[in-house]
Amino acid sequence: MTDLTGFWASWELFRDAALAGTFAGAILGALGVYVLIRRMVFLSAALSQAASLGVAAAFWAQIQGAPPWLATPTLGALGGTLLATALAGIPDRASRRDGLLGAIYLVGAAGTLAIGTKIVQEVQDIESLLFGSGVAVLPEDFHTIAWLALALGVIQLWLHRGLLHVSLDRDGARVQRLPVRFLDLVLVLSLAAAVSVSTRLLGALPVFAFMVLPALAALDLAQNPTQALLLSALLGAAAGLGGYWLAYAASLPVGAAQTLVAALLVAITRAGRALADRALAWRAHQQHDRLQHNAHEHGPDCGHEAVAHDDHLDYLVDGHLHHPHDGHCDDHGHQ
Amino acid sequence: MLMNIRDLAIGYQGRPILPPLTLTVAPGELWAVIGPNGAGKSTFLRTILGLQPPLAGAIERGDGAIGYVPQRSEIDPAVPQRVIDLVRMGVERGWRVLDPLAARRNPAVQVAMRDTDVTALARTQWRRLSEGQKQRALLAQALAGEPKLLVLDEPTSAMDMHAEAGIFAVLERLRMERQLGIVVISHHLALLARYATHVLLLDKDERLALVGDRQTVLRHPAFMERYGQVLDRGGRHD
Repeated sequence: MTDLTGFWASWELFRDAALAGTFAGAILGALGVYVLIRRMVFLSAALSQAASLGVAAAFWAQIQGAPPWLATPTLGALGGTLLATALAGIPDRASRRDGLLGAIYLVGAAGTLAIGTKIVQEVQDIESLLFGSGVAVLPEDFHTIAWLALALGVIQLWLHRGLLHVSLDRDGARVQRLPVRFLDLVLVLSLAAAVSVSTRLLGALPVFAFMVLPALAALDLAQNPTQALLLSALLGAAAGLGGYWLAYAASLPVGAAQTLVAALLVAITRAGRALADRALAWRAHQQHDRLQHNAHEHGPDCGHEAVAHDDHLDYLVDGHLHHPHDGHCDDHGHQ
Repeated sequence: MLMNIRDLAIGYQGRPILPPLTLTVAPGELWAVIGPNGAGKSTFLRTILGLQPPLAGAIERGDGAIGYVPQRSEIDPAVPQRVIDLVRMGVERGWRVLDPLAARRNPAVQVAMRDTDVTALARTQWRRLSEGQKQRALLAQALAGEPKLLVLDEPTSAMDMHAEAGIFAVLERLRMERQLGIVVISHHLALLARYATHVLLLDKDERLALVGDRQTVLRHPAFMERYGQVLDRGGRHD
């Protein structure tokens, strides 16, 4: 509690960074629903690594004397993401490009580590590129993620039905002559923009986490894919903000804390879903038993063992004494 | 005419797998596509739906939309979807999908659910439906687009006989009431023999494609040789 109070007391210090994490969590969370439905989790891992390689390459280019307006980390991340997307394409559920995606992931991770050792410490810490620091955010980066969140939010409001249709039933969408290529392009560009800007701010680990974990939890909770989009955005935002608080309270790296909060949300929703499923199954079982029993007439040849009980005859059903009389049947408890 | 197919060659990588096919599907006709596993039935279906390019020949579509009912296994049970969500997807056509409220406003959704008897299941999750209910929900989805031609890929696979008969009864009713043209792949010969108006027998291995009205195909020696005994036994083959 003290930690929470202290966190809010220092809010002015964290505000931009925490809000940037919240926006990133929201947009990546929503896009993560498409990632999971299309079964392209590995693509999101590869994209986030490619983006971090782009960021590292931009810093390295700056040190080598490239003009700062050209070698910006965000442009580097965008370049890495677009290159990786062009190489891999957007796989639909039918296609499998695991090997190629694995290669992109490995080149991204190894390249970031390799270039990271060439970047002087005060310019950029390699750990923060890979696992996320997100402690300080430049005003221009904050504005970029805020505008991006707004733009992607509007696009989702407008196009989510088509994007979901193409993701859920590609053949059906083609038969119904939906603009499949246009919708694919919208999704690719949305992913590229969200991943590149977020990776620049947060690092590869939380970006990958935001694209998988909130959607996993949302798909457990939601009644339909549209609800899942909204829920996933909310859970992603909660993980983004909650991660900052956890990092502050437990002195953890921000990226790791955001990932842990997102994972905790998955654990809670999974447990809730399992309990709800069990309750539903139990209720259905009870109803089934009741229906079966109502349709059954006890008697000498009914197949149940007759047991004398006080002044009447009961029948033994699954260890319970059933007493038929006056058109209905009472449960007289265990034998 | 709903679909006119002329000298259609289907196959992969430039190699046709069957002789050229010529047939015309008219309103009120139910075309049964039969043949052993791997006979080329799904390739034929994917080609006429435009999901796969033909190697040669022409497919001329008449006016009106095509409704496609995929196999039930195509729907991912891990994704939460209620019957109403699934059926609404059927309304979307072309660039109209860019109107996020179009499906909600469309009365065809309710009509399709009523005609397939899934109105009471509107809020039920896909994963909780029985196989017969799933098939009726997919039928409702296809009907929501108000098609003139309905194409179904093995609608009764992994279904008990009672549910199977129920699906064919719904198809028969739709064919009569809406004058739908229907093209259906199925393994249940007895039901097809009862409801089909036309039959397309395919066999890739024998390079056989038998096309015609039901009586003509069912009496053909090539059909009798393959399925005569199966029909006598009650009609199901795998």
